[in-house]
Amino acid sequence: MRPSQALLKSGRSAWKGPYFVAFPNLKEALNNHVAIKTQARSCTILPNFVGIRFLVHNGKDYLPVLVSPDMVGHKLGEFSHTKKAFSYKSKK
Amino acid sequence: MVHVLGINLPDNQLARFALTTIYGVGHHTSHRLCARFQIHDRCKVKDLTPFQITALASFLSSPKTAPPLPRYPLAGPNFVPGPSNRSAQDLVAEFNSEQLSQQRKRAIKKGLPPPDPNAKTQDLKARDPLNDMRIESELRREVRENIARQRMIGSYVGRRHAMHLPVRGQNTQSNAKTARKLNQLDRY
Repeated sequence: MRPSQALLKSGRSAWKGPYFVAFPNLKEALNNHVAIKTQARSCTILPNFVGIRFLVHNGKDYLPVLVSPDMVGHKLGEFSHTKKAFSYKSKK
Repeated sequence: MVHVLGINLPDNQLARFALTTIYGVGHHTSHRLCARFQIHDRCKVKDLTPFQITALASFLSSPKTAPPLPRYPLAGPNFVPGPSNRSAQDLVAEFNSEQLSQQRKRAIKKGLPPPDPNAKTQDLKARDPLNDMRIESELRREVRENIARQRMIGSYVGRRHAMHLPVRGQNTQSNAKTARKLNQLDRY
């Protein structure tokens, strides 16, 4: 399999390429280990995002996501969960 | 009872349906398999010849290393039948030489270098879709590894698998029975 194929398996047509947001502070984030604060949950994780820390909005907070090589091809929002699991708390 | 890879195929079923009892073989693949081993579409499992069964078993045990399909000569548009007592090898040799000359002609037309005769066989083998099929334990392992990978990178899909809940946005107020049964981290 071609390496670029991993980005395209989402079912989006090939001529469009993966959907991503251009972060202007990408290089700075990689060099200075500054987290990128973003609300772009639908941005595809590209190979050059590996090693960058993101703060991805989940509708309420910005959750930290450290991008590892395995995450390439997924969306940023997949790693910032929006729902809290229900757990019963007894009243006093 | 006919055993292929330790799975017994039901005797009274048609071969093309019986083959789908193998995990990873659906109707399409079973059709392709039947075509490959010349099993006709009304053939039942009990009517399979021992040769077909051994051929099937040896192919399914290692589809990757299976020998490429034999290529039989096809007559070109300006074919003139020769004397009928020629051997098959002669025909194949003639076919191959004609193929090569045609390829060379096509290459010259396009302005490309003439093709290498050894490269041709590799090209044919790469196009055989059955060679990269995965069945039974190999396929189950692949599914398990995919789920484990999703869990390891901490994505939503992996999380939903760990919670035994539907992955693709289905409702969970009621039912979600299949997901509760199947969405496990170690599914098999």
